[in-house]
Amino acid sequence: MEPSDEALCQRVAKRDVAAFELLVERYQGRAYRLAWSIVRDPEDARDLSQEAFIRLHESAGSFGGRSKFSTWFYRIVVNLCLDHKRKRRWWKPWAGDAADDQGESFLERQPAPVTDPVDELGREQTMKDLWAAVDRLAPRQRAAVVLQVREELATYEIAEVLKCSEATVRVHLHRAMNALKKTMKNMEKR
Amino acid sequence: MAKHPETDLVPYLRGELPPAERERVARHLDECPDCRQDTDQLRELLGELSRSIAEPPAVNWARYRAELREKLEARRGRRAWWWQPVPLALATSLAGVLLFVAVWGVGRQVPTAGDPVAFEEAAIGRNLGLLEQYQVVERLDLLEEDLDFMSDLDGLAAGRPG
Repeated sequence: MEPSDEALCQRVAKRDVAAFELLVERYQGRAYRLAWSIVRDPEDARDLSQEAFIRLHESAGSFGGRSKFSTWFYRIVVNLCLDHKRKRRWWKPWAGDAADDQGESFLERQPAPVTDPVDELGREQTMKDLWAAVDRLAPRQRAAVVLQVREELATYEIAEVLKCSEATVRVHLHRAMNALKKTMKNMEKR
Repeated sequence: MAKHPETDLVPYLRGELPPAERERVARHLDECPDCRQDTDQLRELLGELSRSIAEPPAVNWARYRAELREKLEARRGRRAWWWQPVPLALATSLAGVLLFVAVWGVGRQVPTAGDPVAFEEAAIGRNLGLLEQYQVVERLDLLEEDLDFMSDLDGLAAGRPG
């Protein structure tokens, strides 16, 4: 029988190299995709997800087992990505994600985008636009959407990852969805 | 009409609400066409997002893991210079010496033979426990006075002609 993630993490805390490598193999794809969904840069996503594994290696002993291993590990990944984006804001103030987490996102404050002169947009383009709109959400809103849509986490799990209340997650999702609905409406008008 | 359950709509659509809350939202949707429309749009949006999850560029996982191992080794190496047994033992010894000096050395003056006051203070300090029992000490003083008085009386008696 395959050992559980939680059992492997306990072994990593005792410096079991094989357990660490097994956990890396299990989570490398998810960690990289999750990081990429938030930072949208393959190199950064690669570095940040690797850093998450290093943190896992260093602090496996602090995994108390109160939540699932995946939730605990996602928290490491998401925190690293949000920190990364926060740091980048200082030297990229024009970036779309310079929004206040508590207030409206950059996207919500924007007027409707200029209609594309090309009337016939393929479905692929529409979807691209939709995810581009996700990219412009405030970082924590984006993280909530990604964790819900991509990782299919429940609201209480997203709350654990983002270290906030379920009510706050609901507000993040509500604001994010409102912003995305506006984008969809604008795409339909084209 | 009750407050619009705007922030409950996503959990409602995902079937995450407990039965009572679910019932409340469902009742509201029956009565509120605006929220019904919002819910329909939200359902469509969540569906679109799920169907169109973008994938990041592909990764060579063997290389990824090799890089990770290198980074881990580098991190260990950075830590190793002070985490090695010899520096660690030296650091522990130094910390011990500093602790000893802090506890016993600083602010403690060793009385010298030529300074009787300091010597007496040190002796009193050592018998601080006795001074804390001041009532007992006071009684001892009184007893000492009584003994002096009695010895004076004895002296007087001895000097008196028989």
